Amino acid sequence: MLQFEAGKNGRNRLLSLRAISSVALLMSLGSVASAQAPAGGRIGYVLTERHWALYQTEGAREECPQGFNIGPREQYDALFPQDSGVERTEVDTRLMREGQRFHRTTADEDPFPFHDAQGTTAYGVNLDGKASAEDFLSPEGEEGIDNQLHRAIGCIAIYRGPDGTFYHFSNLFMYGNAYNRWMIELSGVDDLTNDEDVTVTFYRGLDDLMTDASGKGFVPGGTQRVDTRWGQSFIQEVQGSIVEGVLTTQPTDRTKFPWSFPGIGGGFHLFRDFQLQLTLTPKTAEGLLAGYVDVEQYNHRLNRNWTTHHQSYGQLSAASLYRAMTRLADGYPDPDTGANTAISAAVDVVMHQVHIVHPGQQSAN
Amino acid sequence: MAAFRHPGRGIDRRMICAFAATFFLAVPPVLAAVDVAADTANRSRYWQAASSTAQEAYIDEMMPPGIQVIVSPLEGPVYADERGRTLYKWPLSALRNGSTGDRQHEPSNCTDEVLMYSAGLMSPYPAGLRLPDADRRLSCAQVWPPLIASDDAEDIAEWTLVTRDDGSRQWAYDGYPLYTSILDQQPGDVLGGSKITSANDGGVVRVPVAPPSDIPAEFAVIPSTTGRLLVDNREYSVYTWDGDEPGKSNCYDDCLDDWTPVAAPALAADTDQWTVIRRASGTHQWAYRGKPLYTHKNDPGSRSVVGSDVPDWRNPRWHNVYTQRAVVPPDVFTVQDAEFGGQVLADASGRTIYLYNCNDDSLVQLACDHPDAPQEYRLAICGNGDPDVCLETFPYVIAEADATSESALWRVMAIDPETGHRAAADQENALQVWAYRGRPVYTYAGDRKAGVTNGDGIGEFTGRRNGYKAFVLRDDFGENAFRR
Repeated sequence: MLQFEAGKNGRNRLLSLRAISSVALLMSLGSVASAQAPAGGRIGYVLTERHWALYQTEGAREECPQGFNIGPREQYDALFPQDSGVERTEVDTRLMREGQRFHRTTADEDPFPFHDAQGTTAYGVNLDGKASAEDFLSPEGEEGIDNQLHRAIGCIAIYRGPDGTFYHFSNLFMYGNAYNRWMIELSGVDDLTNDEDVTVTFYRGLDDLMTDASGKGFVPGGTQRVDTRWGQSFIQEVQGSIVEGVLTTQPTDRTKFPWSFPGIGGGFHLFRDFQLQLTLTPKTAEGLLAGYVDVEQYNHRLNRNWTTHHQSYGQLSAASLYRAMTRLADGYPDPDTGANTAISAAVDVVMHQVHIVHPGQQSAN
Repeated sequence: MAAFRHPGRGIDRRMICAFAATFFLAVPPVLAAVDVAADTANRSRYWQAASSTAQEAYIDEMMPPGIQVIVSPLEGPVYADERGRTLYKWPLSALRNGSTGDRQHEPSNCTDEVLMYSAGLMSPYPAGLRLPDADRRLSCAQVWPPLIASDDAEDIAEWTLVTRDDGSRQWAYDGYPLYTSILDQQPGDVLGGSKITSANDGGVVRVPVAPPSDIPAEFAVIPSTTGRLLVDNREYSVYTWDGDEPGKSNCYDDCLDDWTPVAAPALAADTDQWTVIRRASGTHQWAYRGKPLYTHKNDPGSRSVVGSDVPDWRNPRWHNVYTQRAVVPPDVFTVQDAEFGGQVLADASGRTIYLYNCNDDSLVQLACDHPDAPQEYRLAICGNGDPDVCLETFPYVIAEADATSESALWRVMAIDPETGHRAAADQENALQVWAYRGRPVYTYAGDRKAGVTNGDGIGEFTGRRNGYKAFVLRDDFGENAFRR
């Protein structure tokens, strides 16, 4: 289940959340095997790590043989060469570029080539139950994996772990800002290893995460109060099943998933067919959340939360990405135009067990 | 319930789609009904009545002749010149690609030179771009007239003199050269800047200068979007309780499980607004304006308002403390719970109100956030340069014909919809719009129900440099009620 080929240096070994997850999974197999029904048939988990799921090979040689995409600085330099001797105005350069960031269009061709991620392997879930030509194989060989977002962002450096600034800061801002405190609570659980019918409820929490003594690692056993005042739009209930320790939920029609950065009032991704595939232990839940991400909302959120300055550190051109996502979108066609409005995607997640405190409760169970 | 207008008027539908069709959860294009009772309670939470005499006390300092203190509606006490014009400083501050502003104890960097090109302080754009208003641009000193001292002026206490390039002498306070703002029109106006903390990347902004707040050493005052919040010297909020009596605490036993009396030193003396009460245990507790003060053990962090939800946010009996608050805004504005975890100012139908922020990228960082400034910045963000698109995406908040305001911060302003500048006196198509601190306010087409803030952060540097920010009153997960 390693995310990339074994690297020759420490940098690559640091790369993989999935690799870490795999180790944790192996270490916790004993826990899975001995899992009993949680107290009261309930167990909660809180999100402690999340990244867009990208299949990365060493040096990106498999998925980005053509290299990485260029970003705002490079595009600006190409459009407005500094040594041209032409006097330029802010209106025709900076303000034009910034306006296009918020008035996105596909009416014209992207003047810059865009490199989709290549290859046949990606992480994700078979969202539509089909195996079509554009689908991927999972590293384990499962066919029909839907993750076109991988194609769109796989060759944009900012998204790649562990050094991409979006990869790093997006997660940092998740655990540092309780707005992003996403939780699941399983109820009706008879057995955490096998239970064909459990209820899974999504909540937003209100509290900081509990860390280990280093302050860098998260530990199970914390407490989270449910945000019932501000977080109603994030509360949702679905049915799921647990098979050999893996929770799979039924796809939702729509799910709002909080994903915001500091200084911004709100921020979320809108998923269609949202579903979870998580390996459960009494201490952790690790795996994927997946679905079709609304393309407009994805880009709206991106541009509100992540400025051109920040996008530049990692060569993310929002205008180019928007065109690519629109081109690669593979779900939920617009009833009027027939154009797909959502793109298949998956997110690597790690969650830790938490005591969820509902309104009226004074303490955890 | 108010229905949205549909986009139209020949605007490129793709633009509208990209801008407004991002949402969402199959929400019908209507806004939620406003909870009148909750709104009334919230208005008293954030603002004070026009009839209120609550003003922040300050420490009298020695001042040069002609300088005065004026207690402004939002900023509290500020220094002003003899005509009542608020005085500002421009402290050096770092931006992405360099610093600008005045250095402490150094002469002014705000000169008579007209700067026509960008300084490149904003990543990732290079320097040397011609500014939108280059052909009609004013110098920094024209926009920020220096406070020139008389020939016989001498240093006095915090007030010192610095020499300008032309040989004239300029007053400085705490070592920073002082200016007035051409935006301020009457005493008490603080339209050129704010004490509210400027977020990084918002530009190097001007700050009104003021005498120190007259508060005991155990406290501090934090400027917020609605008033001057009293906190302890660790910046944790302090509260009062309806269950107390004037000058007497009734918080004992179980009450002390959640609330901690703010201890006063044994030798503290009473002042007009600050008194020391003796608790049954013999310890001393601070009281402000006769009300005992407490901190809340369950506050999640500093500057919190969570304690003012106790026992029930709809009917709280505990209250944050302000030295003064802004006067309540016009009745057409409401308070809405927001999904980001707080509350926002909203229009009558519950739609979030937005403020537009802008500072240019010249070395002198002139504001471009008001109707007298170049509009190219705003039009780029709200309409890709097209004023008609702007009117659809970020429409002005139209004022009723007979609209009035008891708050000096709110006024009706006539705007030319085609330019964004002030309308001529007899202009037929002028829009009568609500303005806050001399700037029009807006709603956002993408907010399709009350309590959402989808327009927040649209613009450069998350809306703080050239863009839109929600008018945040409370932010439980962030600092947006304490930033501009």
